[in-house]
Amino acid sequence: MTEVELVDIWFRYPNTAMFSLRGVSVTFRSGEFTVVRGPNGAGKTTLLKVASLIYRPSAGRVLVDGGDYWSLDEGRRLGKRREVVYVHERPVLIRGRVLDNVVYGLRLRGVGEGVAIETCREVMEELQLWELRNVDVRKLSAGQAQLVAVARALVLEPRLLYLDEPLAHLDEERRLLLLQALERARERGTGVVIASHQDLGGLGVDRVVMLSEGKVVRNLYLR
Amino acid sequence: MLDETVATILRSIYVSGAATLLAMVWSVPCSLLLATRGKSRVVEAVVESLVGVPTVLIGLLLYLLLSSSGPIYRLLGVRLLYTPQAMVLGQAVLVTPLLISTTYRLLRISVRNLWELAMSLGASRVQAALLVLRESVPGIVASGIMGFSRAIGELGVALMLGGNIRGYTRVVATAIAMDVAAGEFEEAIVLGGVLVLVVVLVAVCTKLLTRVYGD
Repeated sequence: MTEVELVDIWFRYPNTAMFSLRGVSVTFRSGEFTVVRGPNGAGKTTLLKVASLIYRPSAGRVLVDGGDYWSLDEGRRLGKRREVVYVHERPVLIRGRVLDNVVYGLRLRGVGEGVAIETCREVMEELQLWELRNVDVRKLSAGQAQLVAVARALVLEPRLLYLDEPLAHLDEERRLLLLQALERARERGTGVVIASHQDLGGLGVDRVVMLSEGKVVRNLYLR
Repeated sequence: MLDETVATILRSIYVSGAATLLAMVWSVPCSLLLATRGKSRVVEAVVESLVGVPTVLIGLLLYLLLSSSGPIYRLLGVRLLYTPQAMVLGQAVLVTPLLISTTYRLLRISVRNLWELAMSLGASRVQAALLVLRESVPGIVASGIMGFSRAIGELGVALMLGGNIRGYTRVVATAIAMDVAAGEFEEAIVLGGVLVLVVVLVAVCTKLLTRVYGD
């Protein structure tokens, strides 16, 4: 079980006067399916980036399995960071082929190329990306690029997976593929946190967190 | 005559190429630093305003530094004025604001996203920096081409620090100026065409090489 607990988090971007998060306290756990909802500018993206250990909050504590993440040394931070993955709303892909992107996280962890490719194959087939493995990422549609970014995250089998508007560029068929893949990841014990405006189509959501003006206004357990 | 012209063209490429590479040594880290820091608007404005500083002013300041009564000679005893090395140094200083400004503009969005991507996929800080650098190569190369074009076409620094010495510091820009002063307009026009051709060829070759590297 991995748990990321945000305690009274305040966050302000550089050169801005307004806080994007104001006293947010919320916990994300592995094995749970959470949806974060809220209007534009409510702080959903910022919340996900703080919870995925990318942004350091201006104030407040980020506890990973009970320990204060930002007071750890860099080596131990890296170990914790490798248990959580964040996927951008607009997919950020590195130059090269689809396969180069999907294996990237595994290669960072020192996995050999052959093993990394074999590890990726199942997830890529699941998301219908295997046939595209040698395609230059510059030739992908927005929906394909989004799936590549999600596949790159899923192959790492993170304990917590944060996705920012993952359905934004997807047609109905790809939406279904993605939601099925996320459901399977949850069954394997991954905690899935999605910031989305869209209907998740009967997916087994455990909890809904509502944000408004940088504050959690509702934290509702559905089951 | 033809040999001399070819030598002048090659010298131009050498001096401006070396100056651009030298300027990139400090300009690229500066641009990356600017792109990764939030509070950089004042520095950004200052750097952009320095892009338009007249080349003769930079030439004059460096002339005063490098001349036999200047601090470089007094402190180090090195006589640099009227040498290709002085021209390289002068052009490197000249293109620095342009390189920083263009590289920073190309990198400022991508660096943040790439850094976040690397962090979110479990990269160490070194691995993240390597990814950012690797992905920034096309942008850095494009800035380098702009810097080279600016350096090879400028006159003030080359004339004041190089002195247009035949067979030693004469480059295409100073040769054109000399031809015009002597009324040799046809030769000046031919050299001008060669200058444009060199800039285009260098840009195309570098882009092709970058594409090969990228793929």
